[in-house]
Amino acid sequence: MTSALLLQTCVLLLLGGALVSLACARNRALAGWVSVAFVAAACVPLARVVVNVFAGVAEGETVLLALPALPARLTVHVDALSAFFLVLTGVIALLSTLFSVRYMEHFEKDTVAKFYPVLLVFFASMVALLVVTDMLFFLVFWELMTLSSFFLVIFERERKDSQRAGLKYFVITHAATLCMIAGTLVLWRQAGSFSFAALQDSLGVLLAERAVVAHLVLFLFFVGFATKAGVLPMGDWLPDAHPAAPSGVSAALSGVLVKLGIYGLIRVFCSFLPVSAASDTWGVVLALAGTVSLFVGTLTALRQTDSKRLMAFHTIGQIGYICLGLGVGVACLRTSPTIAALALLGALFHAANHACFKACLFLGAGAVLHRTGERDMDRLGGLAASMPVTASSTTVAALSISGVPPFNGFTSKWLIVAACILGGLQHPLFLVLGLVGMFISLVTLASFLKVLGAVFMGARDESRSVKEVPLSMALPQVVLAALCVLLGVFPRLPLGVLRDAVASAVRIEVPGADALLGTGFGLGLTAGGLALAFWAPLVVVLALALGGALAYAIQRAGAAKVREVPVWTCGELDSAAAVRYPASSFYLPFKHAFAGIYPALHARVPQFPAALRRAFNVDTWLYRPVVRAVDGLARGVSRSHVGVPQVYLLWIAVGAVVVVAVMLALTR
Amino acid sequence: MLTLALVLMVVIPAVGGVLAGAFKGASSRGAAVTAAAATAALAAWATATVYGGAHAAAVGDMPWLGGPAATPVVGVLLDPLGSILLLVVTVIGLLTVVYSTRYLGMDNRDHRVPPTEHPRYYFWLLLFLASMVGVAISPNFLQLFFFWELTTVCSWALISYYRNEKSLAAGFKALVVTQVGGVFFLVALLILFARTGSFEFGALALLPDRLRLVVFVLLLLAAWAKAAQVPFHTWLPEAMEAPTPISAYLHAAAMVKAGVFLMARSVSSGWAMPVEVGMVMGAMAVLTLFIALTYYFVQDDLKRLLAYSTIAHLGYVLLGISLGALGSTVGFRGGVLHIICHGFAKATLFLCVGAIAYVTGSRSISALGGLAKTMPLTAAAFFVGVLAATGVPPFSCFWSKFMILSGAVQLGGAIGPVLLVLVLLESLIAFSWMVYVGQKVFFGERTPVACVNSDPPPAMSGVLVALMIGCLLAPAVGIPLVQWIGR
Repeated sequence: MTSALLLQTCVLLLLGGALVSLACARNRALAGWVSVAFVAAACVPLARVVVNVFAGVAEGETVLLALPALPARLTVHVDALSAFFLVLTGVIALLSTLFSVRYMEHFEKDTVAKFYPVLLVFFASMVALLVVTDMLFFLVFWELMTLSSFFLVIFERERKDSQRAGLKYFVITHAATLCMIAGTLVLWRQAGSFSFAALQDSLGVLLAERAVVAHLVLFLFFVGFATKAGVLPMGDWLPDAHPAAPSGVSAALSGVLVKLGIYGLIRVFCSFLPVSAASDTWGVVLALAGTVSLFVGTLTALRQTDSKRLMAFHTIGQIGYICLGLGVGVACLRTSPTIAALALLGALFHAANHACFKACLFLGAGAVLHRTGERDMDRLGGLAASMPVTASSTTVAALSISGVPPFNGFTSKWLIVAACILGGLQHPLFLVLGLVGMFISLVTLASFLKVLGAVFMGARDESRSVKEVPLSMALPQVVLAALCVLLGVFPRLPLGVLRDAVASAVRIEVPGADALLGTGFGLGLTAGGLALAFWAPLVVVLALALGGALAYAIQRAGAAKVREVPVWTCGELDSAAAVRYPASSFYLPFKHAFAGIYPALHARVPQFPAALRRAFNVDTWLYRPVVRAVDGLARGVSRSHVGVPQVYLLWIAVGAVVVVAVMLALTR
Repeated sequence: MLTLALVLMVVIPAVGGVLAGAFKGASSRGAAVTAAAATAALAAWATATVYGGAHAAAVGDMPWLGGPAATPVVGVLLDPLGSILLLVVTVIGLLTVVYSTRYLGMDNRDHRVPPTEHPRYYFWLLLFLASMVGVAISPNFLQLFFFWELTTVCSWALISYYRNEKSLAAGFKALVVTQVGGVFFLVALLILFARTGSFEFGALALLPDRLRLVVFVLLLLAAWAKAAQVPFHTWLPEAMEAPTPISAYLHAAAMVKAGVFLMARSVSSGWAMPVEVGMVMGAMAVLTLFIALTYYFVQDDLKRLLAYSTIAHLGYVLLGISLGALGSTVGFRGGVLHIICHGFAKATLFLCVGAIAYVTGSRSISALGGLAKTMPLTAAAFFVGVLAATGVPPFSCFWSKFMILSGAVQLGGAIGPVLLVLVLLESLIAFSWMVYVGQKVFFGERTPVACVNSDPPPAMSGVLVALMIGCLLAPAVGIPLVQWIGR
């Protein structure tokens, strides 16, 4: 089967699944499992497409529908970049749906008819938008994704904060889409077509002829995609929307939806934008935007005590890393293809890694929420003993996101920072940004030590019994945590695949995987035959294991005694849970130092001046006076109708005289 | 055969209306539904048969009106433009009639209507359907004028249907304002006939420049009055005193579209509209968008909110048509497409409000809340309607708005970017407010008013489902049709 046919099968399966799950929504468990089955079935053709692409099976564009009136054509084509994002979508979709089946028991009063069908439409729209190569249909699927995710965000619609979050999300991202529509139309005028290839050419022409307009278009696209990606300040919707959604959806939002913003940025700034002075400029803009996001987002995350809100801020931060890598890559395209390729590799790899660990973290937070009903970390503690699987997978994910070797987050951050430093030789700014990135990695670690410490460590709350989550919720977490480890320890295979994705995205020749990453053991960055950096995760793992074993052996040999003492509470009698170290007490000096870094703004209903509305109300100052005047005139005339026949006869006589006079005057 | 079908489309609902008015109870309803269904079926068949071309035929003649050009005065014409209006009128007409069979009755908590009052309603409704079909298939201005005035009369009768003081005043106001528009139309018609001896649409192009300007301005004034555009917009919100299905059908989907249809006809017959008039039309359309927008934020009555939204959307149609007059075919097609797209979207919204009023007895935004729990179907339909009306893809109005915007950009110069910014701004604000209102009414805590109910009965729910599908599929029908319009 061709790719187009496979993809149609995939999308139809998802939409069919939506209908079937809607039909059997009365039976909650059945609806859930049906959805899982359909998503799993849809993943099969998807996997086939991806394998075809990476195996190098060449296929042209397929036209599925033509609208000659515009003209626009629904064309489908999968390149390596799309295929990479399809993989993310498929994996996260399957795992988050599986997680949701039992998780949705949490919402007994809400029907699942407003969940699974929407979720499947959401996934279908993401698959569709990744494979189309026509901007009009891209926008259609893009907004279908937005609106389906809106209904997922406001799933708990009775809650005021969910409503607010949903409205904010929808309005901000719709505004972003309108920006993209404007940008598309300006390009369309030049190109006469909505196909990616035509828009790409017309951007080039525009850049040469009317640079200001071209930069405006690029700005519109930047705003459009960066908003969805959660880049600050446009990404302000994210910390509200992600926690409001059910946890499975939060994972899908953070794991895939925001990545699609990155997909759009790559398409525009790597594929559309010609490699020129303009790409240098926009690379710096992207890198700066990314750094602002990672700095502000992560430092604000440090202040949070709501577990899901904290994760959401970290999404902003990690997207910042991706954006930083992307920016460095775009900026270096012209001068140094190797550094550019490394930076883009890092960005894409971080996107994949972020999908793994952030989805895992959200699912972990969801698991805790499911069992305890709490998102407030101040009221949690000591869950490691009762929820070992969740605790360990969250720990792995937390270490990954903080960039601790040998997990996957380290490898991608290493690539990004390395590219920053190498790029810094040409543009010193990148050096600074790389250093900020390294520092923020530390803040990330601090923030997640707080999460681990507050939620899983410490004294247990004896008053409530907490069990581990069922298998269908534990499995997705374990799979994602395993991916974090595997991608970290064996980065060569995914990076080789990603090199193809980078090559298909950019408009220059990209060095082969061997030239970029070295042929030997581990990853060796070389440029111009010069070995620059080296990272061999297996060696580090072995060393770490050896060190651990050694420490354990020494401890055993020394037979050191471990002494456990209760916390001294000045003689007060409090339960252990009441006196444990709460999340809000972590890093107080930091919080004070960066208190104003994320200002809160409140939107209010616009108040139009009443005078303006009065002016618009034509009734009061125009029509009614006119009607009254006509009415008055009629009354005046009617006063002459006195009801006396003689007077009427007089009128007739006078009238006759007047008529005769006029006739005489005219005929004379 | 086709000619006969087209004539039957006017005759069937008219006869059906008389029968429905003469019968009582179930047979009255049956006659109404049957006539509307037959008309809709004929319309679908005729559109499919004519697709891609046009069908014109003479039916009768009035020799004393023949004039020097000696063209028949009575006839039928079905082209892509007419097909669009015909489909809107007949399909939404059928759905409205079906909806009304349950809406009117003693179960309605907003307005109880005793059965003795029903036949009168169906008579006027079906007469209106017949006259709207007449508007859509008129081959010349005279016949168009005749049916146009007939719709005004039906509108007056239906707005005043409840016969209380407010509705009588509202009906009178609507009658006066649209009638003033009709007078402008009549004067334009007389000038046209006096000068060219013909009522044909194409005759507009034969007029000398100065006179053509005058005629187009007069026609534009007529269209503004009929389509409730600034400065004649004030009758439409008052007309919300009508029963809700009437508001949905007459004052959102069909009758007000007659005004924009007249403009579309005038512009596309010979593309002879003077550029100045096109400019004025476009500028006033944008002004209307924003004036209507300022009223959104102070409405508490859902129906009045929708009425202002209707005013704005008719502005969109006129904007698209004015772009056509200025030279952009895509913009014109977008405007015409908006007739069908907005028809379905706004009918959905109105009938949702009707369903809410039917079960709760309230239309007040501040009194309602948390309805989604008890009325899930209505909630879904309302949100589909909101998304469709405000132009969120993949729903209907996105496509038409997008085509209008494409047309604006195509024009080039300063007009394109300015229109782009203004229209997108209006879209965003309207979208935000509509979603906010939707959340307010359907989500959150249930208010006392909203506590005692469920989705409306099947006849009404079924119509809502059909309209939701229409909101999604209207462009699929409309885009192939409008692509045949053009120079």
